[in-house]
Amino acid sequence: MSGGAAPLVQARNVQKTFKSGRLETQVLHDVSLQLRPGEFTLLMGPSGSGKTTLLSILSGLLRPSSGQVELCGVDISTAQDAVSARVRRRHVGFVFQSYHLFPALNALDNVAEVLVLKGIDRMQARAHAGSMLQRMGLGARLQHLPSELSGGERQRVAIARALAGNPSLIVGDEPTGALDKNTGLSVMGALREQLTPQRGVLIVTHDPRLKQFADRVLEIEDGRIVADYAHTAGVNEAYH
Amino acid sequence: MRRIALHSLLFDRGKLAAALLGVALATTLAFVQIGLYRGFEVSSSTVIEHHGGDLWAIPTGLEVLDNAETLSVSVRNLLASHPCVRDVRALVYGFVFIRKPNGTRDNALVVGAEPRAEHVMPWALVEGNAQDLAHPLRVSVDRTDLAKLQLDNAPIGATFEVNNQRVTVAAVTQGIRSFTLMPYLFTSITNARRLMGVVEGHAHFFAVGLHQPQCAAEVQRWMAQQHDVRLVTRADWMKKTEAYWVGGSGAGLVLAFTAILGLIVGAVIVGQTLYSMTKEHLPELATLKALGATPWELAGFVLWQVSLLAVVGGGIGLAIAYILRSVMARTGLNVMLEPGTLSLGIFAAVLMCAVASIASLRTVFKVEAATVLR
Repeated sequence: MSGGAAPLVQARNVQKTFKSGRLETQVLHDVSLQLRPGEFTLLMGPSGSGKTTLLSILSGLLRPSSGQVELCGVDISTAQDAVSARVRRRHVGFVFQSYHLFPALNALDNVAEVLVLKGIDRMQARAHAGSMLQRMGLGARLQHLPSELSGGERQRVAIARALAGNPSLIVGDEPTGALDKNTGLSVMGALREQLTPQRGVLIVTHDPRLKQFADRVLEIEDGRIVADYAHTAGVNEAYH
Repeated sequence: MRRIALHSLLFDRGKLAAALLGVALATTLAFVQIGLYRGFEVSSSTVIEHHGGDLWAIPTGLEVLDNAETLSVSVRNLLASHPCVRDVRALVYGFVFIRKPNGTRDNALVVGAEPRAEHVMPWALVEGNAQDLAHPLRVSVDRTDLAKLQLDNAPIGATFEVNNQRVTVAAVTQGIRSFTLMPYLFTSITNARRLMGVVEGHAHFFAVGLHQPQCAAEVQRWMAQQHDVRLVTRADWMKKTEAYWVGGSGAGLVLAFTAILGLIVGAVIVGQTLYSMTKEHLPELATLKALGATPWELAGFVLWQVSLLAVVGGGIGLAIAYILRSVMARTGLNVMLEPGTLSLGIFAAVLMCAVASIASLRTVFKVEAATVLR
């Protein structure tokens, strides 16, 4: 942890209300928090507690109804779509429950295209993507389409893609949700390995077994943060 | 974005084939209809173009070549007296009755022109030569009209009746068709006068060659004093005749309507296919947006796909149009695929694909990045 460093995410009094016709549902109530670099944070809560909505807002995918969110120093709560997009492109890597890989591209291009999107030359992007996939243990699967990979392999490609461009914040939405226990733990281990003093990780989950990887746990219920505590147990014994 | 878009398009071969088929058929239709339109335009004025001349003397009030009236030899003499005029050449042109070998009657168009070195009449000769037509009551027929005239594939020497006079086929042309698909019978001007009962020296039209084309306006003003005849430029006369047949007859409207209908159908087919492909790719588009793609970069996803469809589908459509052109030429229909037609067809294909992409682009602009987390 690097408590003195500038926060990656600073949320103040965030509220979110969804409207459907005349029906209004307030999903988040006055949420304030900070995410710091060098911190592996779990956001936990039961279904419908608002954790995915909060993750969406903190990562710049959704605007809050009120309150303020700064992502890597940029106020994204009122920013235009293009501004939020640029901040996400530069600073955020995503890992999704259902991978969301591009089915028509092989593993190498799935990672490389994100780098190209970030403005890196295609040749360099492919070389960089290849080395990242090698580090993920997928050196022999570079030319395989997602449909030719196992669930664990797909998620590792997704992690490599999330890391492409060296983001400040890695965000995961139930990244082990579609995996069996052992593969899930292995994927979480791979995510944990990406933590650096300059980079933070925020994972949404409802699986308490994943606490062993966390430095910090946020618990959310009915759209309110009800607990925020440091967690130091078990990372090493989890996979060493 | 280009790589993702094109790989995604190529990934689903079934949908790609459907979209390409839609673009290809629509552009084929567009090329053929526009080509037919131009072909009809050209066929209606082709005799004027090939007879040549800077100006044409036509009876006052005449709107179209085919409704010819006789002009007297005095018109010719008057024209020839103007110092700007280099030469005056007569054209005898009009409808005749024919009696085919089996005795049935039909109509044809007789064309007899005073010859000029650089304007051989008839052009496109494939058998015989123009000099053969100078012999008494010799005519040429077009190969595409042989069946209509009940002549066999070696028609030289065959006979049939024109206005109750027996004529002999002395030459064969290939691909000279009239707008009305009535057979053209080319002959010498002497024979034409004899077949149509036109007095020696008289003609239906006089084509006027000028020493200097800039003199045209002066000669036209000078002839304006004559009430029963007027001078028009060859280009204007061609346009007038084309407008009469292609515009006035409604044939042009039908062709244009069919072409537009084809493009609309094509746009709907391509639009639906593209829209369904875009809907299927929404998760990828949302992922791209989440990863930081801007709305316009996402639009590139659709635009690259539609561009590929337009280029490849349009190319296939053009190839099919060329095949159809040669098939239709055998039936006497002239599908003109000249640079102007091709440009218009390509523009139509691009426009069709652009229209087809609107619904997909609207969907792309509305895609929510947050859906990737649901």
